[in-house]
Amino acid sequence: MKKFFFNIKKYYKYAIRSAKAELKSEVSDSYLNWLWWIIEPLCFMLIYTFVFGFVFKNDEPYFASFVFVGQTAWDFFNRMATGSVRLITNNKDLVTKVYIPKYILLLAKSFTYLFKMGIAFLITFCIMLFQHVPFTLNILYIIPIVLVLYVISFGVGMILMHFGVFLNDLANLTNIVLRMMFYLSGVFYNIKRRLSGRIGFLLLRVNPIAFLMNELRKCLIDGVNPSLEGLLFWLAAGVVLCAIGVHAIHKNENSYAKVI
Amino acid sequence: MKKAKDKKIVGKKDDKNIAVTVSNLHIKYRGITKTSIRASWRHMTDKVEVFEALKGVSFEIEEGKILGIVGKNGSGKSTMLRAIAGIFSPDKGKIDLHGHSISLLSIGVGFNKKLTGRENIYLSGMLLGFSEEEIAKKEREIIEFADIGKFIYKPVRTYSSGMYSKLAFAITAILETDIMLIDEVLSVGDAKFKEKSYNKMKELISDEHRTVIIVSHSLGTIRELCDEVLWLNDGKIMMKGSAEEILPKYEEFMKN
Repeated sequence: MKKFFFNIKKYYKYAIRSAKAELKSEVSDSYLNWLWWIIEPLCFMLIYTFVFGFVFKNDEPYFASFVFVGQTAWDFFNRMATGSVRLITNNKDLVTKVYIPKYILLLAKSFTYLFKMGIAFLITFCIMLFQHVPFTLNILYIIPIVLVLYVISFGVGMILMHFGVFLNDLANLTNIVLRMMFYLSGVFYNIKRRLSGRIGFLLLRVNPIAFLMNELRKCLIDGVNPSLEGLLFWLAAGVVLCAIGVHAIHKNENSYAKVI
Repeated sequence: MKKAKDKKIVGKKDDKNIAVTVSNLHIKYRGITKTSIRASWRHMTDKVEVFEALKGVSFEIEEGKILGIVGKNGSGKSTMLRAIAGIFSPDKGKIDLHGHSISLLSIGVGFNKKLTGRENIYLSGMLLGFSEEEIAKKEREIIEFADIGKFIYKPVRTYSSGMYSKLAFAITAILETDIMLIDEVLSVGDAKFKEKSYNKMKELISDEHRTVIIVSHSLGTIRELCDEVLWLNDGKIMMKGSAEEILPKYEEFMKN
């Protein structure tokens, strides 16, 4: 663990620079340039709001804000998980030519995703203003909740990154699992109301993303306090995942170059 | 050439400053190449095939010396360079750099083709282990050496392949480390730059404080540049000694 923090300290500047570089290159030669960072999430969220609010007639109060919050949290986790599976293989050039602690690659990626999540939250706040959702000080709980989300995603990402080096078809498997999680996380419906009884109760406890999404909505839209025990529990779980990931990477990272 | 000779004399006066110690180095490639999930179930019980690229190699290099490594294809030369650079970890044995900084000379590491040449200097340099400040100090020199005019402010994807390698070479050549590992001596670009880069290379290599390990198939290069030659065969050291001593025997061996 000491080595992990030492490496983070040594390489975080590179991670930031590489994240900036990636963001820049993403939009550098498109016509609308950085506007895509706003247009894309906005359009996806509007589509979901239309389909599940209007077509499926959802009467959730402030439904657009409801979907936007869910989508923002889900996108971050989804990007981290999908992005990490092939991260090492995609950086083959780098991995076989210099030594770099491999989680720095994930760290750099996570910065770009954090940036996108920030934009998505800004859009969400605009929609909330537009819908006259009452703002309360509980909005500040967004910080610890996002922190927990980050720690869990980073841990999961590291573990997927490690196995993604050796297993060719891990990407297919993660795709299926992620799709399932997406529908079971309640991005566009309220788990508590739709799945009453034991299933709903379980889903909110077993699936960290469903739990965090629910907590985010609680403090952003309903203006109530999040469950602190729940957050602490998932923070601890996230730290354990990170520890497993760091351990696996430290132990194996030098053989990655041999495999790919 | 002259410089290299001078340095030899200096080296003899105050030698015994060891730059790299490699002791009993073993590196194995396991059969755990990429598999699918289904196949990996079977792998659990299977005996995995192991290929040993290096079988117990030990040697030392004094500070400031230039070591050439020769050997036929697949004898473990590149594997050893990468292990010394820290890209692989040894399966057995030890590599001690005695606190020196090291880099494997490789071209265009971490380049992002959509960004400008200037931005890529930083990206690539930081990957090679330099801090932002160190690179900022050398930035001018790199740009001057690369000599690609105002293209430095344009995205790398607009470069011709010659310009690309000129910039990449300039980065690795100007950002120098105590120990340099070179896999085939590089000369890139057009005829003029080729000469310039080869001379720069020679200058870098023959700096009297720099320790260099060169892997090359060009015996001419090895003869010209190296103080010592290490001959690897099938992951083991065949011989080690001066170029005059080793190279004729190696040539003889390769003919058969």
